Amino acid sequence: MNAVPEERSPSGDGMPCSGPFRGAGYAGEACSSNEQGATPDSLTRREFMRVMSASLLLGGIGLTGCRRPVEKVVPFSRSPEGYVHGVPQYFATSMPSRETAIPLLVKSYEGRPIKIEANVEHPDKPSNGDSEADRMGTTHHAQAAILSLYDPDRATRFVYKGVAVAREEAMRFLKQTGEKFAGLKGKGLCFLVERSGSPSRARLLRIARERFPEARFFVHEAVDFDIHRKAATLLFGIPVRPVFRLEHARRILSIDCDFLGTEADAHRMIAGFALGRNPSLSQNSMTRLYVVESLLTLTGGNADHRLSLPPSNVVLMTMLLFAELGRQIGWANLGSEAAGLESALKVRIAELPDVLRGWAAACVEDLIEAGTGAVVLAGHRQPVVVHMLAHTMNAVLGSVDHAVKYLGWPEPGESPITELAAELNSDAVETLVILGGNPVYSAPADLDWARTQRKAATVIRLGEYEDETFPVCDLHLPRAHFLESWGDGVTEDGTVVPVQPLIAPLFGGLTELEVLARLCGLATTNPYDIVRDTFRGIVAEGDFEARWHKFLRDGYLEGSGSKSVAEVKPDWRRVVEAVTSINPGSEHSEGRGTYEVVFAPDYRLDDGRYANNGWLQELPDPITKITWDNVIVVGRRTAAQLNLRMPSGTAGDFSVPVVRVEVNGRNVEGPVWVLPGVPENTIGLSLGNGRSGAGRVGNGVGYNAYSVRVSDALFIAAGASISKTDKMHLLACTQWQSSSEGRAMAREAAHEEYIANPKFANASIEGMPRTKGSLYPNPLDRLAEAAPYQWGMAIDLSLCVGCGACIVACQSENNVPIVGKAEVLHRREMHWMRVDRYHEGSLEAARVLWQPMLCQHCEAAPCESVCPVNATSHNDEGLNVMAYNRCVGTRYCSNNCPFKVRRFNYFDYHRRATSRPGSQGRSSSSVARTDFLRWLTRMSPETRPQTELDMLRLLMNPDVTVRMRGVMEKCTFCVQRIEQAKTASKTSAVLSGGATVADGALQTACQQACPAGAIVFGNIKDPRSRVSEAVADPRAYRLLEHLNLRQRVAYLARITNPNPRIRDERRAETNTPVRAFAASDGDP
Amino acid sequence: MREVSRGVMVAVALAFVLCVGVVGCWYYLTPEYSRVGYTPLQPVSYSHKVHAGELGIDCRYCHFGVEQSPYANVPDAAVCMNCHNQVLSDDARIVALKERIESGDPIQWTRVHRNPDYVFFNHAVHVNRGVGCVDCHGKINQMDSVIHAKSLSMGSCLACHRNPERSLRPLDRVYDPNWQPAGPAEQAVIGQRLARELGIRTSVYCSTCHR
Repeated sequence: MNAVPEERSPSGDGMPCSGPFRGAGYAGEACSSNEQGATPDSLTRREFMRVMSASLLLGGIGLTGCRRPVEKVVPFSRSPEGYVHGVPQYFATSMPSRETAIPLLVKSYEGRPIKIEANVEHPDKPSNGDSEADRMGTTHHAQAAILSLYDPDRATRFVYKGVAVAREEAMRFLKQTGEKFAGLKGKGLCFLVERSGSPSRARLLRIARERFPEARFFVHEAVDFDIHRKAATLLFGIPVRPVFRLEHARRILSIDCDFLGTEADAHRMIAGFALGRNPSLSQNSMTRLYVVESLLTLTGGNADHRLSLPPSNVVLMTMLLFAELGRQIGWANLGSEAAGLESALKVRIAELPDVLRGWAAACVEDLIEAGTGAVVLAGHRQPVVVHMLAHTMNAVLGSVDHAVKYLGWPEPGESPITELAAELNSDAVETLVILGGNPVYSAPADLDWARTQRKAATVIRLGEYEDETFPVCDLHLPRAHFLESWGDGVTEDGTVVPVQPLIAPLFGGLTELEVLARLCGLATTNPYDIVRDTFRGIVAEGDFEARWHKFLRDGYLEGSGSKSVAEVKPDWRRVVEAVTSINPGSEHSEGRGTYEVVFAPDYRLDDGRYANNGWLQELPDPITKITWDNVIVVGRRTAAQLNLRMPSGTAGDFSVPVVRVEVNGRNVEGPVWVLPGVPENTIGLSLGNGRSGAGRVGNGVGYNAYSVRVSDALFIAAGASISKTDKMHLLACTQWQSSSEGRAMAREAAHEEYIANPKFANASIEGMPRTKGSLYPNPLDRLAEAAPYQWGMAIDLSLCVGCGACIVACQSENNVPIVGKAEVLHRREMHWMRVDRYHEGSLEAARVLWQPMLCQHCEAAPCESVCPVNATSHNDEGLNVMAYNRCVGTRYCSNNCPFKVRRFNYFDYHRRATSRPGSQGRSSSSVARTDFLRWLTRMSPETRPQTELDMLRLLMNPDVTVRMRGVMEKCTFCVQRIEQAKTASKTSAVLSGGATVADGALQTACQQACPAGAIVFGNIKDPRSRVSEAVADPRAYRLLEHLNLRQRVAYLARITNPNPRIRDERRAETNTPVRAFAASDGDP
Repeated sequence: MREVSRGVMVAVALAFVLCVGVVGCWYYLTPEYSRVGYTPLQPVSYSHKVHAGELGIDCRYCHFGVEQSPYANVPDAAVCMNCHNQVLSDDARIVALKERIESGDPIQWTRVHRNPDYVFFNHAVHVNRGVGCVDCHGKINQMDSVIHAKSLSMGSCLACHRNPERSLRPLDRVYDPNWQPAGPAEQAVIGQRLARELGIRTSVYCSTCHR
């Protein structure tokens, strides 16, 4: 193969075939072996010259790269009013999510939105009389929405029958469709919409009903929260919806209601809940949380008393609780209408064991004692009867208008998707208009939606992605993201909020309002005008323009919050009816499997709508700490019955057995995960994964639980069976340990122990040496005297619920890359902030502790002393700072960090396409080789194309360096925000001399996002600052004190508030059983 | 065919590496690297000498964001027309400019002063605290086309941050390109007084500029 036979290759092992020589005709030489018999240790002169000239050529290429690049400065021709280059602008908007919206304030740099915060001016802040939350937070979904905006996989085309068409053509088609059906009075026209609280959409749907009187309207939500409204309306006989004000609650009973996690408006619920969890309150006025549930949820993990029951028993337990309430209050006191209820309940709860009766008696006694401060919540998974009983309990306890309010709420006029399926199957649908949603993926499996939908002659669909539903549509319209749309919505208290665009639609997407307006043949099709017209109808009096501008500026319409309905009276007759409709002892049907399945929305991906969001995919689940996957959850006993061996998570042992679950005559396979606190015979399936049309990030991640979900058992299905398969699955879990192995990282005590010994958290930890302080003075001490600020943080574990909003907020603020599953498997996740999770207590009632973990900014930092190039060092304000351009990547610092919070850029993660789940089996070296080859050839398919890089570059925070490969990074305490705050104080008070940053003027990203207000940051040199107060709390402690690191992050120990009358095993043997289990069965 | 001995080969290779090293260091240490003297041809023949020097227009008339923003903004073309609607409005260059504004086609200036991406310099905090424009940019009022007059290396930042009193000027002289203290002794007096009055606390820690 040699081109010149008498010449030889440079050396025996040669150069890589695909090296830089390939293009220059060197491939032959470089790859050839010594077939000509030349000695490997000598070269001909010609050969040598040839190689050298090639090197020089390369050098030349390299040197030309060193020339100063010519950069352009392109100002506006005519700059917008009030615009100053480099100064961020903030716009109030809101994020629609099902019926309600989250009020937001979005930061925009040079016309591109880069960071989402809560709109703190929104009037619906939790307040309980004693204290008011001075801030509001967001959820992980709201924080991650900014990434979805720049997702290059979003739908970008108008497609008609598989062919891309012009926008105008699509618009014309919509108009013609509208005109055609206006003539037919809408016969044969069907709409399938999502839940929405938008007043504009409601108005347009009313217009549509007028124009198409015979058209039918349907709604599809895979996880529907309308049950709350439905049950309350049914019970009280007037159209109302419950709104919970947990800040007014002292005793909370949650019946399978994951209000801190997957229910609606978690940000508001967490804020209200956290306000009552302040341990400085007395034991009586501090919130106590009882949870009855089947899976271990975020709410269950935070419970003071958690009762785990198989799903079929939750209904019975609710009845037991109600019967207990009746007994303790006295049935006679409930009025004559309640008479039939006692006997109806008695029959059904007859077989429940005494253990449950004891629990129920103590719980109900506590609720009655709290009176108006008690509240009962029922979760969306539970049937109407549970909701009705819960609402009736609230009415009996007197918590209505205290911890729960009932707001007037119009009844939605849409029918469920099952009726649409019947309509389609009877071939009565000529044209189906789908506005949002992804029914082919998430509709119940028995509807066979892909085929059913095809029975409509024409399907028009507005979708954010070209997803599973896309192939069965005739006309597909790209949907605009909410950050590029005009719209409106209501927050959970009924306040009207605007949806304002921060940027013009990146891919020319449409809003729902535009599509409806065109179908309705309205003159105004511009969504801005549509929203204005709606607003005109809402504000009758006053100067319209002034009110409109105030509405947009404030981000809410003052005084528009719904008033709670004057009086609600439960209709006892309906309660009795609902209870008697439950057939006693029907939970197990013979002949089928004995397992029960619970379908829960994925905490991170919701019902699947966020599947293509890499931040959420990589966010560890708060309970399991698994990324890039979903698991089939079973309890410990079930695992033992199936003889499952769980991996230890050490030394590459990440393979989890795959199990097959058969339910409703269908089956699904997925990796199994054993969780403490999950009852026997219960299987948890999580919805939202296993997508095939999500996009390049979300496709093929996890299993699809929708494939076994049918319309008559949407959330709880009995008669399932589970079996082990031979397959194994690699799980990228970020924390395999569940116990802190006696090191007492996250400390907690019950309230009574705390009162007895307030300084319990600082008591010496058994087995750990006492620290004696340092022999040498710390140079920081001298510097700190002169510096005006010493930054510090306090994290209150009593308030933290483990939601993970801080993780995503940090990722967004600090340009933290997504690394992908393969890299997480190598323990190379890049999160600057993580939330560690520990299990405490016994295995059956395992409680969960969460501990946000970030760089502790040790004053005596172990990382600094080992850095050979001084890339990490201290500044005079006590920050442990990183100079990226100085870092050479030895990773000594990470090795020496006791908290493992330093992250290393093994690759240019921002330039790489996220590693695919399919690449999970690849070894580290093969990943490295691909990267090396890419560097060599600059054409590897793993590099993102330039257009995508340009798109994702818009996402970056310009105040923070985008780190490159080979650089160590870690939490900086948001040093960019610190410097900006200092600059602002200096420039605003030029002549005042000692201008300083006021306490509270500066928040870190995690602090700002935290809905619970668990994180406090500020100047610890100022004794009156909030952080100084927090650090002075007797509960404050620092981790691993014996190392004498003098961290700047203090933790405030968690105080729980258990009921002294319920003696469960909680205090008995802290930690030991979990540890024992970890040793025997693998870590839970 | 003659063979090259191994020793010669190694020597040549070493010499090559040495050459590259010397050339690299030379390049790095000279003003070539720190960009001093860079005078690119700009798309519009705007003269700071005429506007800022002879006419005495305040820097902030065009660079109006400098007191609030990290950047001293390059003005939009409409700012030119505030005066040139009246002055020289028939000049061919102004007519061309006007056409560009109307078409919305922005002027692409060539950037002269540039910090690396990992350096976060903030104009606002400097000009509000007694650092003059000319301290970093040189005598802009004497330049027809903008020249990169001074080195903006890390050394120049640190020189000032270590001894701010050597460069501070009265706040009403920040935008005055012609202001000069009588001598180093006067500068020392003024600088120390200003540093005291304004509460100047310069920082020389990495995080001041690198984040």
